[in-house]
Amino acid sequence: MFGSGKSPAQRRFVRASLMSAGLVVVLALVAAAAFRLWHLKGLPAYPVAVLPALPILWVLIETGRFLADEKDEFQRNLLVQCLLGGIGGTLATTTIWGYLQDFAHAPRLDPIWVYPIFWLFVGIAWPVVYRRYR
Amino acid sequence: MKNRLKVLRAERDWSQADLAERLEVSRQSVNAIETGKFDPSLPLAFKLARLFELRIEEIFEDSGSGSEPASQQASESAN
Repeated sequence: MFGSGKSPAQRRFVRASLMSAGLVVVLALVAAAAFRLWHLKGLPAYPVAVLPALPILWVLIETGRFLADEKDEFQRNLLVQCLLGGIGGTLATTTIWGYLQDFAHAPRLDPIWVYPIFWLFVGIAWPVVYRRYR
Repeated sequence: MKNRLKVLRAERDWSQADLAERLEVSRQSVNAIETGKFDPSLPLAFKLARLFELRIEEIFEDSGSGSEPASQQASESAN
């Protein structure tokens, strides 16, 4: 994502992103197994249900840490532009989908997809932003 | 914002990577500044000025003023 010669902040951010992607899958499987085995309901179900979201929160915190710790202002600027692309794309998609649900009876968009949609748009924005500075 | 980084770098026989290392930034940053696509912050501009032992206005041109960098003006007026 950041090209060659990564700074310590970039290395940590990439490592955290990759690890969290794996952790989401593992914790989702753990949560699914826990619900299947113990038929969790009520209050005990809440912490187990939230488990797969924890790595996602971790990445959001690491994103903030990257922006605080990265010494290269140009690299910070690139990520901020990509994040803005992600925010814009997510807001546009979810708003349009909301109206489609209300008026055109489109299938319901589960909020669980908001986070992947956000990073999808960050990923789309990255080469566009990067090409501007080549 | 126009600047004389490429010339100053060439005078010292530094590559973009050499300058990037001295500034503790990425090579892409140096390229983006050099090509005028990214304006550095004031702290980075001061760092560049210290590195080249010049004033900021001798490196960067205020595009709003329509003038050349200060050192170019000085050399032109001397001619």
